Formats: sequence, C-alpha cells, structure tokens
Amino acid sequence: MIYIFFAIWLTIGASAFLATNRRMVHRLCALYLTVHALFAGVVIGGKYLTTSGEFFTFDELGTLFYVLLAVVAVFIFIHSEAYLKRDDIKNYRNYFALLMLLTTAITGVYFANNIAVTWILLETTTLCGAGILYYRRSEATLEATWKYLFVCSTGIAIAYLGILLLCAAAANTSLNYEDLRQLIIAGNPLYLKAAFLLVLTGYSCKMEIFPLYTIGVDANFAAPAPASALLSTGLVNAGFLAIFRIYRLFAHTELMGWVQNVMLIIGVMSLLVGALFLRRTNNYKRFLSYSTVENMGIVAIGLGVGGAGLWAAVFHVVCHTLIKSGLFLQIAIVRQVYNGYRINRIGDYIKINKVGAIAIIAGMIAILAFPPSPLFISELMIMTQALAGGAWWLIAVMVLLLCVVIFTICHRVIKLCYQPNQDEVHPSNIDRRLSYSALLLLLAAFVLGLWQPEVLTSIIDKIVTL
Amino acid sequence: MLLALIILYVITLIYISIVERFRNYASLIAVQGWILLGIALLRLHSLDWLELSFIITETLIFKAVIVPAILMQVIKKTGINRISSTGTSQFNSLMLSITALTISAIMTYYVADQSINMVFFGVALYALLTGLILIVLRSRIFTHMVGFLVIENGVFLFSMAIGVHMPMLINAAILLDILLSVLMLGMFMTKVDKHIHTDDSNSLSRVKD
Repeated sequence: MIYIFFAIWLTIGASAFLATNRRMVHRLCALYLTVHALFAGVVIGGKYLTTSGEFFTFDELGTLFYVLLAVVAVFIFIHSEAYLKRDDIKNYRNYFALLMLLTTAITGVYFANNIAVTWILLETTTLCGAGILYYRRSEATLEATWKYLFVCSTGIAIAYLGILLLCAAAANTSLNYEDLRQLIIAGNPLYLKAAFLLVLTGYSCKMEIFPLYTIGVDANFAAPAPASALLSTGLVNAGFLAIFRIYRLFAHTELMGWVQNVMLIIGVMSLLVGALFLRRTNNYKRFLSYSTVENMGIVAIGLGVGGAGLWAAVFHVVCHTLIKSGLFLQIAIVRQVYNGYRINRIGDYIKINKVGAIAIIAGMIAILAFPPSPLFISELMIMTQALAGGAWWLIAVMVLLLCVVIFTICHRVIKLCYQPNQDEVHPSNIDRRLSYSALLLLLAAFVLGLWQPEVLTSIIDKIVTL
Repeated sequence: MLLALIILYVITLIYISIVERFRNYASLIAVQGWILLGIALLRLHSLDWLELSFIITETLIFKAVIVPAILMQVIKKTGINRISSTGTSQFNSLMLSITALTISAIMTYYVADQSINMVFFGVALYALLTGLILIVLRSRIFTHMVGFLVIENGVFLFSMAIGVHMPMLINAAILLDILLSVLMLGMFMTKVDKHIHTDDSNSLSRVKD
C-alpha cells in the first residue's frame, strides 16, 4: 500500500516542478497534504503494524513520528506560501516541489524496516535538502549548500561503512532490522562496536548531534525559515529514528552498556556545544539551531541512561517537534518584519507584533523546560533515572550546562522583544494570522505538558519496550 | 590477478597522497575506476548476470569515465593546476600516507576474521584514511572533492570485502552515492567557481558564528 502513496506523492512533487502559476502550486500542495492526511488516517485506523511490502513496516515508532510530520507539514506549507509570496514563480515552484520530495523521503525513513532503505532515503533527504538550501542563490547559501552536500555525503558514506560492517558481523544479507536484531547477538563484538560508531557518526549530521552537528546548523541558517522548521524537526527526527533503530538492535547484546556509554558521551558533548554556541551566535536562526543541538543532546543522554530515560527521550523528541517548528515559524515572521535575524540589532518586537512576541516568549518557556512545558517532564525523568543509576557527575554537568542555556535563551529572547530596535522595520509585512497559527503548535506542546493522552503514553511504552 | 590489481590500487593511493598537480589527481581517480572495474569483474563473477551487469555498468560509466572527465573539465574551467604551496610538503604527505598504510595493516591483522576478506578490508581502510588525510591537510576545495571520491572508492571496495553476495539494495546505495558525487562535481563546476574562490577552502567562511 505504501508504494501507491509514494507514487502519488512523487508524482505530485514532480508535477510541481512544471507548474506555470502560483495557483497550480497551491493546488498541488493542497492535494499533497490531503494525500498525507488520508495516509495518516489509513495508518492510524487499523492498518497499523501490518507490513507493507518488503521494505516498510507501520510500527509504533514510525507511525507516531509520521503523524507529527503530517501535522507540522501543514503549518510549514502554509507559512512557506506567505513567506515566499513575492518570489518569482520558478524558484517558488522548485521550493515547494523539493519540500514535497523531502517530506516524502522523510516519511520513507520513518517507516523503513531495512537498514539499507533507511540509508538510501536519508541520502535522498540530502539531495532534496540541498536544493532547498540553495533557494536564495546567494554566496552564503551556495557555501552552505556546498558544505551540506560535502559533509552529509562524507558522513553518510561513513555510515554506509558501518552498515556494511554490521552486516558482516551478523553474517547476513537481508539487511532487515528484525533479522539483524537476532543475528548480531552472536556477532563479532569488535565489528559491532566499530559499526555502531561509524553509523552514529554518519547519522549525527541528520540528528544534529556531536560530531557532525555543524552542518545542520548551517543548513537551518541557509534555508528559508519555514523549511528550517522541517529540517530542524522532521529531518532531525528521521536522524533520531535511524539511530534509535540501530540502538534497539543492540538491546539484547552484551554491548548494550557500551552503547549507552557512547550515547552519554555524545549527548554531553552535544549539550556542551549547544550551550556554548547559543551564547556565541548573532543570528536568531542559528540560535534556534543550536537549541536543537542542545535538545538532541538531552535526547542522546536519555538513550544513554536507559530505563525511564528512554521513554523520556522519545517523549522529548515528540514535544521538541511541536515547540521547535512553532519557534521557527515565528522567526520566519520576525524576518519579514526586520528583513534579517541579527540578534544585536533587532528589537522592540513586543511593540511591533504583540501576538508574535508573546508566542516567542511562550516558545522560550517551552524550550527551556519551565513548567508546564512537556520538556520539564522529560528532562526531570532523565535526571531521575541518572540519579537512580548513581550518575551524579552527569546531573552536575547537565544542571550546569542547562543554567547556561536558560540564561542565554532568556537573554536573547528578551532582547528581541524589548531592546531598542536599530534596524529598519516593515510592519506592513506582518500577518497576525500566521503568528496565531504557529502559536497553535506551542499550545499543543503545553497541552502535552499538562496532560499526556493514554494513546500517546501507550505508544511510547511500546516503542521503548526493547 | 586479483592481488596484482589490489597492489596497483594501493600504489595509486600512495601516489595520490603525494601528487601536486590536479591533472594527476584526475588521472589517478580514472585509474582507480578502471582497477575497481577489474576487481569487480574478478571478484563478483559468481553473481547473477543482472546484478553483475548493474555493478559493471555503474563502475565503468561513472567511476572510470564520467567522474574523471568532470574533474578534467573542472581543472580546465578553473585554471587551477596545483595544490596550495603553503600546504604540507610531499615528504610529510608520504610519511603520513605510509603511517596510514601501517595503521591499516595492523588494524586489519587484529580485526579481520573469516567473515571479511582481510586484503579488501585493509585496503578499504587505507583508502578511507587517505581520503580523510587529503581533506584535512589540503586547503584547496578541489582536493577535498578528490578526497571524497577516494573515500567513495574505498567504500565500494569495502562492500566487496564483506563477501561476494551483494544485495541489489547495496548496489542501489552505491549508485546513489555516485550520483551525489556527480552532483557535487557539477555544482563545483557550474556554481562554486563563479561565486567562491576555488583556490582556497578559507574562502568558505561566510557561514559561521
């Protein structure tokens, strides 16, 4: 069944390249999103957990993140239309076509049950993402696109080496996660360790964690802000899923302790880098990207501590998707007002766009894990689990770095809202309906902070049952 | 015959780490493409004809012909012929390359078992290290591109190290990788040179904090 949907999505995406006017692009986007809604309905409504073809399975993990992607995509497409409405039709149609192809590739990553298919689709996201990054055709975006292609390709090639090594260790050629899970138990531990390190390093460029996190930051900087919302949530989640599926393969091996230690190191390094660079950057988009690095670091720590930390890690990714996409869409509106993202120059946003400013402050509360943010629950669970394991050093490091993060984010957000503005403003560009719509995503996150529906908790319970 | 090709491949890796002219880089990438074609023919002859013809065609067309041809075009178009004079000297590069070869041999000795062909594994590891050395030590973007292609060739060789049975998915993955290399080379030729100075990777400094 999924192949039919893939064919439809790809056809719609390819058709957008040929669209002659904006209305046609909008209709194709509406059709594309409708097909996604239909597919989400089919997956949720009973077809769930049935295998579709040889390479895809509708498991809980894929379904949960797919539904999130489908929801966030609606907002991203609507905001993109408003964000790019003055651009010429050629760039406009190419952007939406690539956005559709990227969303399709991400969907494939979520449902792939085969390690090679996951890899191929992640590589495809590099191709689609590169096209979106080069949208502005400026020297800076060209440089970012070049770096993105180069680093992602090298990273993905390294991950490919890891996959080959994993297959060699498992003496297996089917490349299916379930088959690998059984076979690697008896695999050569040295190969398995090397394979895990290689895959983790390679996929880190997608999940925006240490060591290849830089490329995600550059990508978010270069892409139009609504597309950054997709790169920083949908694509990051794809990286998370790819790593999480490999992590689960090791659950029944004697190497699990070692794998968790590696995740802890990666998590702490990502948190450190995120916290330090949040202070250093002078660009709001890069600022939000470093916040993603920091949050994915916390997720990696959750995977590292295991137990309840695992549940918290998945919940953290879910809530981060809603919060970060909401914040990126708000920042897209900020750009339309100031025609830039310079932290040291723009300000007075509360006077220019009160709804937008309140939404950004709400986003700040949510991303900093202040109650009733859902991230408060996940971070507390991770710390409790770390405490239960006696990892006092980890708690100390996390608290210290989170203090830096809290100070920096509060300082920067308050500057945007209240410092005297030094740049030219274009208040006529403000569409308050967009501020309200992006606020909805943040409100949804707060609802999850106050009340976690039974269906969500039971799905996450199943996901973390290793 | 297979061993002779592998030794020849190792020689190209040593040579690529000390050459200074871009034409030599392009020629060596072409030679590597032809050697990989020969290795694939000898190593994978037991595959069914469809898979074998797929691998042979992609290796011949992309690795041996198209990629080196695009590299030559890039050299012509940019007019840059040599690596940066401020980079690491030939002697130091040779020493590093030999160190990488020694490390690869030692690691292979300790790591490889029956599930992986030891010779292929060692050479693939050496190719990976050589590619990384080129990317890290050389300052010109063109050399970084060559480093990436050397890594790609190493990955291809490694995929043959894990056994003769290569599922079609692995082949598709390799093809996608090659297509991405071609895309990067195309972008390098048509876009990067116009806007960014290709003679120095330091010119890639607009996107930073």
